[in-house]
Amino acid sequence: MSRWISDEPGEEAALLEALGIASIDELYADVPKKARIGRMGLPPGRDEPEVVAEVDRMLERNKPYSHFANFLGGRIAARYVPAAIDAILTRSEFYTAYTPYQPEASQGMLRALFEFQSLWVEMTGLDVANASLYDGATAAGEALLFCRRLHEGHRFLVPASLPWEEKSVLHNYASGPGLTVEEIPYDPRTGRLDLEFIRHAVSTKDVFGVLADLPNGFGHLDEGIPDLKSMIGDVPLVVSADPLALSVLEPPGSFGADVVVGEGQGFGIAPSYGGPLLGLFACRKEHVRSAPGRIVGATLDAEGQRAFALTLVTREQHIRRSRATSNICTNESLMALAFLVYGSVKGPRGLAELQSSLAEKARTLASALGGIDGLSAPRFDSPYLSEFTIELGRGTARDFLDRLRRRRVLGGHALADPRPGASPEPERILVSATDGVGEKEIQRYAKAARAAIGSSGGAA
Amino acid sequence: MTFRQARWDEPAIWDLAPSAAAGPPIAIPGVPERLRRKAAVRWPELSEPEVVRHFTRLSQMNFGIDTSTYPLGSCTMKYNPKVSEALARRRGAANLHPDQPEETVQGALEMLWRLERLLSKVTGLPEVSLQPAAGAHGEYAALLLVRSYFRDRGESGTRAEVLLPDTAHGTNPASAAMAGYATREIPSKNGCVDVAALKAALSERTACFMLTNPNTAGLFESDILEIAEAVHASGAMLYYDGANLNAILGITHPGRMGFDVAHLNLHKTFATPHGGGGPGAGVLAAGEKLAPYLPVPRIVKKGRKFHLDYDRPKSIGKIRRGYASFGLDLRAYAFALTHGEEGLRHVARRSVLNSNYAGAKLGKFLPRPFRPLVKHEFVLSGAPLKERGVRTIDLAKRLLDEGVHAPTVYFPTLVEESIMVELPETESRRDIDRFIAAFERAVTDSPENLHAAPRNLAVRRIDEVRAAREPLLSWKDLRGASAQS
Repeated sequence: MSRWISDEPGEEAALLEALGIASIDELYADVPKKARIGRMGLPPGRDEPEVVAEVDRMLERNKPYSHFANFLGGRIAARYVPAAIDAILTRSEFYTAYTPYQPEASQGMLRALFEFQSLWVEMTGLDVANASLYDGATAAGEALLFCRRLHEGHRFLVPASLPWEEKSVLHNYASGPGLTVEEIPYDPRTGRLDLEFIRHAVSTKDVFGVLADLPNGFGHLDEGIPDLKSMIGDVPLVVSADPLALSVLEPPGSFGADVVVGEGQGFGIAPSYGGPLLGLFACRKEHVRSAPGRIVGATLDAEGQRAFALTLVTREQHIRRSRATSNICTNESLMALAFLVYGSVKGPRGLAELQSSLAEKARTLASALGGIDGLSAPRFDSPYLSEFTIELGRGTARDFLDRLRRRRVLGGHALADPRPGASPEPERILVSATDGVGEKEIQRYAKAARAAIGSSGGAA
Repeated sequence: MTFRQARWDEPAIWDLAPSAAAGPPIAIPGVPERLRRKAAVRWPELSEPEVVRHFTRLSQMNFGIDTSTYPLGSCTMKYNPKVSEALARRRGAANLHPDQPEETVQGALEMLWRLERLLSKVTGLPEVSLQPAAGAHGEYAALLLVRSYFRDRGESGTRAEVLLPDTAHGTNPASAAMAGYATREIPSKNGCVDVAALKAALSERTACFMLTNPNTAGLFESDILEIAEAVHASGAMLYYDGANLNAILGITHPGRMGFDVAHLNLHKTFATPHGGGGPGAGVLAAGEKLAPYLPVPRIVKKGRKFHLDYDRPKSIGKIRRGYASFGLDLRAYAFALTHGEEGLRHVARRSVLNSNYAGAKLGKFLPRPFRPLVKHEFVLSGAPLKERGVRTIDLAKRLLDEGVHAPTVYFPTLVEESIMVELPETESRRDIDRFIAAFERAVTDSPENLHAAPRNLAVRRIDEVRAAREPLLSWKDLRGASAQS
């Protein structure tokens, strides 16, 4: 049992006495007998060491990626988190606070969120960022609804190369208002978006937004993206960008993006089997009143001093109810703080150096895998940073990755939609250079891949 | 008054050091010129100690549940156990990538599966998904299940309306609208659903009735069984908003009350920290009719092994990246495991005792518009303060000066100048008595002092109207504003 609830002798009795009742049961007199339950069927409580032992028993059944040569990425980065991040995140003034509804009592978090918004604005080249959304995929979903508020139409165009999970999330966001998500085909050699398809679709006047990702779902950089905005005119352009990549890439705002979303987990947040994550969202100032999510603004206090508060709240659910720009209430503020501290500890130079070192590892990996018979690595003839896609000439991605795992290599992520009934796709794997791998791990991957592809050839 | 918040004249982070040289960052081989950044990201280059001091100082200008009683109604601000923080940072929890093969994450799957089974018992609903990232996300997902269900029955064209009480959280109508529904509010009677008005509104057009029980007035909807029967008789679904579940743990549950689908907020009832606005962690629990539509994957147990099952043809698919907010689910699991069956019931009973006690005491200072018997929270009206030229907002600011957080104010909207107070089970009698004493000092203080509050915090009363009228939303805006002046 816990010591989280005070159980001083006589305490409960005194509270009951003040209420003039004999038992807490009387406080449930308004719950009808027929609505009551007996036991829930849970085990009895345990003390702290027992709970720790039980949780540790389960956690010891896991094999963290650090046990392997790890090449998993794809928007979620298995990246080193500097100890300074957690030193700030475990300040309980931050992590045990609620949404800053009383700004005078919460200037610390409000200022941090204002600085976070500013960092994402500087990285994207846009004007305004919100104080976070759930994750990159839901940020893209909110961007879809945002575009519909800016532009008429029913069709939202996304790359066919977008990860299936993100497509599925977008389909759900589109389904409410009866909108459709349509896939832009890609060039089979380069993976680049088919600009003619986009040009034609937009000419129907029924497209309300276009999403492009940087890098794309294959890990590659699409050189055509800077041309998109001039082609689609007043149709809003959403760019889903990797924050680390933006340390070395042209900010999407400078080539006409109206919205930049992204997954911010790689900046100081451990992957923790997929959550909590961090959704990033930035847009142009003229559209801010259509934007989703909390936004922190600078203002003054009664003495004319600089102060900060949640602002433009008339967009939000607690005021506007069914006409709100989004239903979001809880966001990912603490994760936004992690992003900000990470960006500030690294600094612009440190971020670019990290991106550069990961890109160098990815190039080494590509040349190590490039010569393997039965493996197309990289599959697409396009530039890349930290990751790229490989394609198997024989065998399944699943078997290939299984064989690698037995040689202590997490060889990447199979890109195909795992749901039965999904349309068949080529056997492709997204491979990512992580900061935990070096030359030795890269050679281990190459060796394991050679063996895996060889044995599946034998079986065919 | 013994409280003084730290008041650092801490510069903005960009004023601590010059930004990086404006030149281009390192050129990466192979990246085409047109995609290369021409100027480095404009942000200061700081040493680690400079960064740590900056944020430590900011943290000292922030209230948390560890610094103060935090009686925000409907937010269930309870103590966040430290053991949960330690466990979530174990390498076997933090260093797991969501795309790792099942064989390497058996412990994570086991924990999630066990938590789902546990929450199924707590809610009385057979199937649970941990995919929602927050409460509102769970609401929205639940309505997607409802839509899919009626689509399969060929009723999606006709069942186009969601009903909700006028006391509903704002997220309810917002989520319903996002899921494509028209919403209609049912008026309350004495703070509870007017059952006659609900029955009159229910029709073959109704897809769902969304209800929080206990509701946002802190009252248990005693007509719940009659409500459930009426909703089901119309062919509609009954949705449970679990924001206020804390009061009824182990006493009743959504399943027994007749709900078809529910969301829970682990960051309220199950004590995961709210992080100054998030992360939250949502739970989606479904009865038999809606369970086939839950997001994929589902965790299934075969023998001693756990698997991610994608073979759910009716599923709505994905609602976010990854399977769940694992780091938070782990904290919630540690909380539930510690309390167990009796402990969770005690959580509910003690939170209800605390709120009734505080309600009785504070009712001496301000009127309580509804019946005195409440659950997890109670509502006061600050309307009488207006005779002295004082409003609820002044009282809230004055409370901050006492070193306690203010309650939720101006919600629920059906009460004039409303004040919604929740004192969860982890507030001791001493904490509550201190809060009551602070409240008494605040409510009896002079209008001048109330208007001048707060005085003891890092800043004085903030001009929120100005923030909205002349939006300054980033460093870029501040640069623009100073260039103009």
